[in-house]
Amino acid sequence: MVKLNNISHTYGTKSVINDLSLSMEANRLTCLLGSSGCGKTTILRLIAGLDKPASGEIIIDNKTVSKKNEIVVLPQNRATGMIFQDLALWPHFTVYKNIAFGLTERKEKNVKERVIEVLTFFGLTEHANKYPHQLSGGQKQLVAIARSLVLKPKILLMDEPLANLDVKLKRKILDHISNLIREFNLTIIYVTHDHKEAFAIADKVVVLNKGKVEEEGSVEQIKESKNEYVKFFLEY
Amino acid sequence: MGRTIIKQPLYTIVYLLFVLLVVFPVAYTFLLAFFNIDSLGKNLQLISIETVLLLLKSVLIAATVALFSTFSGTLLGFLLYKTKMKHSSFFKLALLIPLFISPYILAVAWKDFFFIMAGNSNIISSELGVALVLTTIYTPLAMLITGNAFSGIDSKLEESGFMIAGFHRTMSKITLPLIKPAVISSFVLIFIFSISEFSVPAILGVKVFTTEIFTQFSAFYNHSLAILQSALLLIICLLLLFAEGKYIADASFLSVGNRGNNTKTYQLNKRRLPGFLFVIIWLFISVILPFIILFFQTFNNETTNFIRAFKLLLPTFGNSITLATTGALVIVFIGFVAAYKNYLSQTQTKTGKSFDLFMLFLFATPSTIIGISLIRFYNHPALEFIYSGWTIIIIGFVAKFSFIAARLLGNAMKKIPASMDEAAQLEGISKFKRFLRIIVPLVLPSLFATFIISFIFSLGELGITIMVYPPGTEIMPIKVYTIMANAPQSLVSSMTLIVFSVTLLMIIGFYFIAKSIIKKQSYVVG
Amino acid sequence: MRLFTIVTIILTLFIISGCSNTTNEIVVYTSVDQVFSEPVLKEFENKTGIKVKAVYDTEETKSTGVLNRLIAEKENPQCDLFWSGDPIRTIVLKNRGITQPYQSPEATDINPAFKDPQHNWTGFSARARVLIYNKNLLKPNEIPKSIFNLTDEKYKGKVAIANPLFGTTTFHIAALFTTLGNEKTKQFLTALKVNKVVIATSNGDVKKQVMQGRVACGLTDTDDAFEAAKENKNTGFLFLDQNGIGSLIMPNTVCLIKGSPNTNNGKKLMDFLLSKDTEAMLARSCAQMPLHKGVKVPAGVASLDSIIPMKVNYDKTAIKLEEIQNYLKAWAEQ
Repeated sequence: MVKLNNISHTYGTKSVINDLSLSMEANRLTCLLGSSGCGKTTILRLIAGLDKPASGEIIIDNKTVSKKNEIVVLPQNRATGMIFQDLALWPHFTVYKNIAFGLTERKEKNVKERVIEVLTFFGLTEHANKYPHQLSGGQKQLVAIARSLVLKPKILLMDEPLANLDVKLKRKILDHISNLIREFNLTIIYVTHDHKEAFAIADKVVVLNKGKVEEEGSVEQIKESKNEYVKFFLEY
Repeated sequence: MGRTIIKQPLYTIVYLLFVLLVVFPVAYTFLLAFFNIDSLGKNLQLISIETVLLLLKSVLIAATVALFSTFSGTLLGFLLYKTKMKHSSFFKLALLIPLFISPYILAVAWKDFFFIMAGNSNIISSELGVALVLTTIYTPLAMLITGNAFSGIDSKLEESGFMIAGFHRTMSKITLPLIKPAVISSFVLIFIFSISEFSVPAILGVKVFTTEIFTQFSAFYNHSLAILQSALLLIICLLLLFAEGKYIADASFLSVGNRGNNTKTYQLNKRRLPGFLFVIIWLFISVILPFIILFFQTFNNETTNFIRAFKLLLPTFGNSITLATTGALVIVFIGFVAAYKNYLSQTQTKTGKSFDLFMLFLFATPSTIIGISLIRFYNHPALEFIYSGWTIIIIGFVAKFSFIAARLLGNAMKKIPASMDEAAQLEGISKFKRFLRIIVPLVLPSLFATFIISFIFSLGELGITIMVYPPGTEIMPIKVYTIMANAPQSLVSSMTLIVFSVTLLMIIGFYFIAKSIIKKQSYVVG
Repeated sequence: MRLFTIVTIILTLFIISGCSNTTNEIVVYTSVDQVFSEPVLKEFENKTGIKVKAVYDTEETKSTGVLNRLIAEKENPQCDLFWSGDPIRTIVLKNRGITQPYQSPEATDINPAFKDPQHNWTGFSARARVLIYNKNLLKPNEIPKSIFNLTDEKYKGKVAIANPLFGTTTFHIAALFTTLGNEKTKQFLTALKVNKVVIATSNGDVKKQVMQGRVACGLTDTDDAFEAAKENKNTGFLFLDQNGIGSLIMPNTVCLIKGSPNTNNGKKLMDFLLSKDTEAMLARSCAQMPLHKGVKVPAGVASLDSIIPMKVNYDKTAIKLEEIQNYLKAWAEQ
């Protein structure tokens, strides 16, 4: 469903991704696993269309969406949703407004119903009139996810969504995320540096190191990998 | 280029209009001076070692003012924005008062004060005196800039410091470095203001570079030499900006709060009294003392001059307020467009850099030269509709103050994470809607602050206005300036108090308007 | 959208404000203090119905706005008439080809010494350079009677003059140069410096310093001195060198601007300013001495007949003024 062919990307003069090729199946959760600075977030931004690749091409559903130094399909037309690392909740909008904003601006129908539906799904109904700064960390995460899902994306990009949460809350939200694929017919690309998170929910794990793929496969395959870097990474 | 215009029509239009209507007239004046071979050779000979030494002296005075203002402003910013000091809201407003009063009036008040207390004003009529007066005038600017920066520090950043070190170490190693960009911006702004300031050194009888430029204009009518000398001034300011840009560009510390109003405020405990005393002493020196002098001068045995002053100034209120309000709106708009472009690009594009450079160029150019340039460019039958109306004054305001607006708003926008805009972009929200519904609300407090500062400066602007104001127009600062030449001191002081009161009333009015708009926005981004 | 509309309307109003089509008006630039000039212009407006649009400035404030504005507007003049507080600024304009000759019938009986031979400017309502003094600091027998007394040891550090690069002080010193010659004048100025003369920012500042007692006396103009005497009973003034070179007389001057939009109205205003009535007004408001004969003046205002004037040629003085500027700058900065 999502293919990256020979992608390279630089920030300034620094090469972040170097000739990387990757494919992620539809209706699966693919986890990009690696330490900080290995290029995980960059890959998400390239798929979202927020950055242009320096070389290579990105294909979604057999359609080229990005190629060398060019955004062929604009981000808003790629049917992707993204949960940013800092969540990017708009602080001047209530929870309801944060979720409804995209629907309203796109002039979609049944805005209220759809917002309430997603609020109910995530158990956020009572927080609808609160502002982000009045929510706990976990509630904010859920609002960020709800905001993306209400627009019915085909692909959900999640950039370390559980970074600041406690174990109990993580488990709760991971359960939610696992259900999302089934409930919303999604393809999820999930970025994390925590292999336990990855192993809990991933259908496929891709281990990255310095902008290159070290190993990719199922959870079991990764656990049993003979790759020195992967073994080293999983130990810690 | 074509694609850029289509992609960013508003930015392109604003940029082109700014360059054509504001920058070009002034740049043309400089080019004429440089390319007029006959006068250039003659005038270059007049730029002697004395000129260079005078420039160095002015640089030293300006640097001293910038240093002291930034230091005291940062201290005040910390005490009022970062601690739970009592009556801090009152102090924040009261300490801004020197910005509402024309510098030359304050200089006169100080001169009189020293004469009354010490029998002569020699102490103040010196380079140190100039530095003292200018420091009291510009410290509020530093307080505003750094106070805003203090308010934007995420509490988590400091709290993580407290896990390791005590209060002093956290302040010096975490808090202060985080506001370094604001401190540097404050220094640069005040330096440029001080080095371009003419009226205070003139009143105190201290020769500085700008008085030299003024002399060339008004005593020798040697416009081309005055312009060449201004070019030296510009070079200094550009060098400073270059150094500032280089330093801040490398700074990776930008702080954003994910929760609203989560900046940490401190109880001063045993430092409460010294802190409070410092604020009170500063308030006394910079505000109360000059006002005592002004009141003394106004009401010394009579009140008739106060009434006379009011009658003289009444016809000017409407014009001045309308001009200043419109000017401030246009200034904020241009500054916002420039800042937003840089925000969108995340790194400065070539046009972004040139926009900044043009604004700095105009900001550092002496007002008289801007005035002359505008006359030469617009005093043409085809442009009569601009020259003989109020538009020419607005152009002057834009030339002088758009740099400040762009700088203040640029700093505010840096605090908005790009992800806020990108999240909306992914939701399919148009660029214009993102601008209006995401960006504008998030910078609303900064927009208001910038508007107020632009309004105050526009209301008191004299140097350009006196050159271009349409005949028959009554404008406040011109009326005060022309009347004061041969008016009793009590009349001049009365006019000053009235101008101050009008300014204060307007700001209070704007504050209540803004409060009603902003009150629902119970958030802070950084 | 609403904000955009409001801003567009305001900007349009601004542009419209520049498109006024009133023809029965006159644009005046004046360096005479607004407190004195404005009532005169209002009187003209009331009498003739011609709208007066004025740009004010003062020679105290170095005429930064007005004179430089006139020079910069040369190619497309906006101003119809320039009213100056002294002849020098008008001569500067004449020498740059900015003035237009006009011989007003009201000026027939004004002494030719106060008129340009080519009728580019005409003088009226004169001021003079005077010595203002503080009665508490100087007894009657201690008051200097001549400008040359100011270099006496007993007045060391007690005399103020305004910045010699600007205003009527420049004029005064230039007049000394043409009257006494270069050498003598330079000697006098050097002696003043040795005697620690205080350089004030303006004539108004001289007045203030004398009134406050910061200095014992100073050189200023009659209107400043008159105001000071009104405000403060301890201030007096006198005309120097009445037994010697005389006091410098500085007439107000008017000139028409070449190529201006409303020359006819300019002529009417010039006639009005040069009339005896205006001279009487200015005598009452700021002690300016009429150049017409038979104009009633209030008590306390000197008559030109009672003053020994310094013999100066204004054109030559204007030329000398430009020659000595560099010298004066160096002198002031010593």
